[in-house]
Amino acid sequence: MFLLLLGGGSIAYQLLVQKVPLTQDEKDPVWVVDAQVSFTARANKPIKVRMFVPPQGAGYTTLNESFISNNYGVNVNVEKGNRQVTWSARRAEGNQYLYYRLMLTPRFAETRENEPGPQFRPAPVLDGAEKLAAEALLQPIRQHSADVETFIGETIKRVNELENDNVQLLLGGDVSPENRAQVVDLLLAMSHIPAQPVHTLRLVESQEQQPELWLRTYNGKRWLYFNPLDGQQGLPDDRLVWWSGSESLLNIEGGRSANMTLSVHRNEMSALQLARSLRLQDASSFIDFSLYELPLPSQQLFRILMMIPVGVLLVLLIRSLVGMETLGTFTPVLIALAFRETQVIWGVLLFTFITAIGLSVRSYLEHLKLQLLARLSIVLTFVVILMAVISLLGYKLGVSSGLSVALFPMVILTMVIERVSIVWEERGGTQSLKVALGTLVAAVLCHLLMVWPPLVYFVFTFPGVLLCMSAVMVLMGHYRGYRLTELLRFRAMVER
Amino acid sequence: MFWSKTRKALRARGVMGINQRNGDYILRYNKRSLYPLVDDKLQTKQMALDAGIRVPELYGAIATEQGISTLHRVVETHRDFVIKPAQGAGGDGIMVIADRFEDYFRSASGRIVTTEELEHHISGIISGIYSLGGHRDQALIEYRVRSTELFNRISFEGVPDIRIIVLQGYPVAAMLRLPTRQSQGKANLHQGAIGVGLDLSSGVTLGGTWHNQRIERHPDTANAVAGLTVPDWEECLELAARCYDLTGLGYLGVDLVMDREFGPMMLELNARPGLNIQIAMDDGLLRRCSIIEDHLDSLGNTRRPVAERIAFSKKHFAVAGPVPVSEPDPAVTP
Repeated sequence: MFLLLLGGGSIAYQLLVQKVPLTQDEKDPVWVVDAQVSFTARANKPIKVRMFVPPQGAGYTTLNESFISNNYGVNVNVEKGNRQVTWSARRAEGNQYLYYRLMLTPRFAETRENEPGPQFRPAPVLDGAEKLAAEALLQPIRQHSADVETFIGETIKRVNELENDNVQLLLGGDVSPENRAQVVDLLLAMSHIPAQPVHTLRLVESQEQQPELWLRTYNGKRWLYFNPLDGQQGLPDDRLVWWSGSESLLNIEGGRSANMTLSVHRNEMSALQLARSLRLQDASSFIDFSLYELPLPSQQLFRILMMIPVGVLLVLLIRSLVGMETLGTFTPVLIALAFRETQVIWGVLLFTFITAIGLSVRSYLEHLKLQLLARLSIVLTFVVILMAVISLLGYKLGVSSGLSVALFPMVILTMVIERVSIVWEERGGTQSLKVALGTLVAAVLCHLLMVWPPLVYFVFTFPGVLLCMSAVMVLMGHYRGYRLTELLRFRAMVER
Repeated sequence: MFWSKTRKALRARGVMGINQRNGDYILRYNKRSLYPLVDDKLQTKQMALDAGIRVPELYGAIATEQGISTLHRVVETHRDFVIKPAQGAGGDGIMVIADRFEDYFRSASGRIVTTEELEHHISGIISGIYSLGGHRDQALIEYRVRSTELFNRISFEGVPDIRIIVLQGYPVAAMLRLPTRQSQGKANLHQGAIGVGLDLSSGVTLGGTWHNQRIERHPDTANAVAGLTVPDWEECLELAARCYDLTGLGYLGVDLVMDREFGPMMLELNARPGLNIQIAMDDGLLRRCSIIEDHLDSLGNTRRPVAERIAFSKKHFAVAGPVPVSEPDPAVTP
């Protein structure tokens, strides 16, 4: 029970906290945001291009960020929650192009940052008609709202009633989103409610995109986002906050006819690969303290080793639930390991063939009445000769691929032959065939399970599974029920 | 659907499964350190002799290749004898010499055996051909048990034996194991011998089992197996029950043989007795074992004298089966 909790806990931790991908093929979206700035340089003037770039860690993990330019110095500084990149050059001529590329992914990201903002601001001084219009608008808003949230919503609704005279006066004929946001801001300022324009990017596949303006306000606990056009509250998940404040995105000194395009692309990346590439930047990734930390050859070894308990568990289930007889607990698992080197089909053929020949050699040796050790040695020698012959034949016939007979399978085969023949002597031919067949079936099942890639990945990535499995083994140790074969065996007692 | 129905039916009859036998009985009652006592027949025999339990007389034991030359001295004075491995399993490696013929020996099946063959057989036993795991072993040369007339009629070659399962000193189940042509004279159910259930209270044979099926007649002699009475049954039960005090193994299979002259003898003990006895008895071991366990609980787990234990078993495990037939129908004898 304790084992189960511990194992389950470790898996849950890896899954939920470290966000380790569940399967090898799990894909994550990767957003590639490209910004291209083009302008014409003024001759003989120093050039300074300032552009806002998204702050780091705001709901997304930055995979890669690059600033590409020819002969420009690049400098990034952070100010009031905004990041700004400055490209600078002493002089340049003709058309200039600057590129900015950002790769983002939602996995492994921390929650949105929560730096507090102001909760109060002084009201601006207005006069004349504007003051009257503002107050006329604020009057019903106050009546229709209960708190800051509803107040802002109500304000946005009023300002978007474009036929209203007061609104028209305040807008002054300019109905652009920026101006509307400004009017909303003004009205909020009259009521001492702080508000901040934020510019956001939509993470959807698009060739050209303009940052969208939102308003946000801090309510003491978190930021509330509003769409200044329709009063919609809450930032959708696919929005990336680019910068806040009313400054413009791009600011060029020493250049003219500036142009800027923003495009967004969606890529897919295997989650595992993602984790690996992140690890280069961030040491706290889940890869630390996991088996991925090992050097590659050891990793390969452990991919095999970690699957052995899986095979043993399967044999355990086969034996105590089904009641199929096998040669020992580990022999099927060992044979399954041998199948790794010989391929399954060849392995089964080889196993059957060599065991059959080995058994007949052994039964011939029976007549010679040899002692145990001598007999074993002869059987082993014959297995080697047989394998050599088979390999040679296979090579001559051009089917060498399946017969890469290695040291390990040979030793296992000899052992199997010896054990089968012991069973043969002790319990007869039928029984030994039954046992050999059971072993073969269990070995094939084990092999298939042990090389099943999703499972290999799962066990290797979540070693806590092994604890869960040992919990199952403990349970099996307490299992007192009938085996499936026993139901058949004792059937005679029920039928009467 | 079928599985769950069968399982429920078996549960209801108190049939014991392998998992349960291993977990709840062998693991609980049999201490691992006591296993060598029963796995090595020489030790078992020695212990039984010390306790005064009747066993087939040991003529000699050979443990080394050099010792083989002493064979003729050992068998000099005996016309017939049995050679068996001390740690063999399932009746393998047993050679039965029934008679002598000039310088030759004659085996139980009538084959002529030379002294060289005999010596080679012993050499094989010593090198561990017949022992589990191929350890070196000893060859035992002992008294040849001669089967009683009654048993000869329902067995084919070999000597039938009686398997009694003893839980904490209480006989729980008993069966007669009859060799068949298929089992080649061996009394092992896995090799094709017949198991015939015995009524614990009277020693009367019930129905039989062969290859997990129920049978009425011996397949080789065609004689009905039911309705015979095992002679000296009282003594058999006592021998079996005393083996518990002898070894300390709480869940024990005791194998007895019935000798024409000496009556019941303890042949060997088994710390992992098989479950086929349930089919022979047509009764669940679990049901019977629970009765014993409940009884022991009520007694506060104190050890009771042998006679009291046997009386309890006889009272609770009597089967109202077929009425014992004193004189079996002679017409069916071949």
